Amino acid sequence: MGEIVSSANAGDVLACVGLGSCIGLALIDRRAGVAGLAHVMLPVSPGETDQVGKFADLAVPALVEEIGRLGAAKHRLDAVLVGGAAMFSFGTTGTTQEIGKRNEEAVRSALDATRIPVRAAETGGDRGRTMRVHVGTSRVTSREAAGAEIELYGDLAIDLRRAA
Amino acid sequence: MSTPIYSDVQLDALRELANIGSGQAAAALSQLLGRPVDISVPTAAALPLADAVAVSGDPDAPRYGILVPIIGDMDASVVLLVPEEDAVTLTSVFGLEPASEDGRSMLAEVGNILGTSYINVLAQMTGMGMEPAPPQVTHDMLGAILASVLLGRGDDVDVALVLDSALEVEGESCSMSFLLLPQPGGVDELLGRIGL
Repeated sequence: MGEIVSSANAGDVLACVGLGSCIGLALIDRRAGVAGLAHVMLPVSPGETDQVGKFADLAVPALVEEIGRLGAAKHRLDAVLVGGAAMFSFGTTGTTQEIGKRNEEAVRSALDATRIPVRAAETGGDRGRTMRVHVGTSRVTSREAAGAEIELYGDLAIDLRRAA
Repeated sequence: MSTPIYSDVQLDALRELANIGSGQAAAALSQLLGRPVDISVPTAAALPLADAVAVSGDPDAPRYGILVPIIGDMDASVVLLVPEEDAVTLTSVFGLEPASEDGRSMLAEVGNILGTSYINVLAQMTGMGMEPAPPQVTHDMLGAILASVLLGRGDDVDVALVLDSALEVEGESCSMSFLLLPQPGGVDELLGRIGL
């Protein structure tokens, strides 16, 4: 949670297990075979912090930089988002949005600012999810509790959906 | 990274409050079920958020989660985590299934009774005003449940104070985990009230 991981080793699997209101943000350079994953917990950083993966506004540039060091090119990056669910209501006043939704919006606006397109997203709702990123094949999957794993991104996505 | 760490004396005091609170909660549950409910001595730990989730079990493991939000001088969450097979046993006491609407209502009522009696004890002992909100039941991944509870109010939580007791229903193989998770600032308020 709140961490950033990355890899250029084909066969590695990066995962965010049990995402609730948090967002799993994957950035992928398919051509270079590089992928990075951030487990974003909150929309905006409070100021000085070394926990860059925790906040959407800091996590996006930090993740871009980290996978850049592994050879990913910024203009080739695709983003995939999973999470941002509202599993509970905390009786906040009507104007206050749910934290999951705020997390997603903050991640999307940080991606917009960096001009990285969101190619797939499995967000919102009221169920927790586990996200996996397969380095090399660049497959990204999402699974809800007691649910089937669905493929959100990757070369095989369309073929698999037809076969299912 | 520096994190506020509670002293042993403070953690002891919090554990003792949790002990009395969860004892009262177990007595209330015992009345509802009509059979004795045993309770373990609670653990009290101040943990980084990720560790707080990790010590509670495999984040991917399915759980029935019952949340009772607490609002007042100390904002907090009471969370009951029930493994699937234990939820089956618990609801079977009333001839119900956990996945049915009535089963969920029963789980909500269990959370309500536990949470309310626990909070009443804390309120009495500390003089703090606290009100439970209606319980909410979910069936989901343990990690997703806890992270959503801890972060759900949008507060920046670095350290979670986890007061965890295990409840066992006698005569049935049924156990569950019972957590009090105060929001930031709540623990200091609580400790201040008891002079620590």
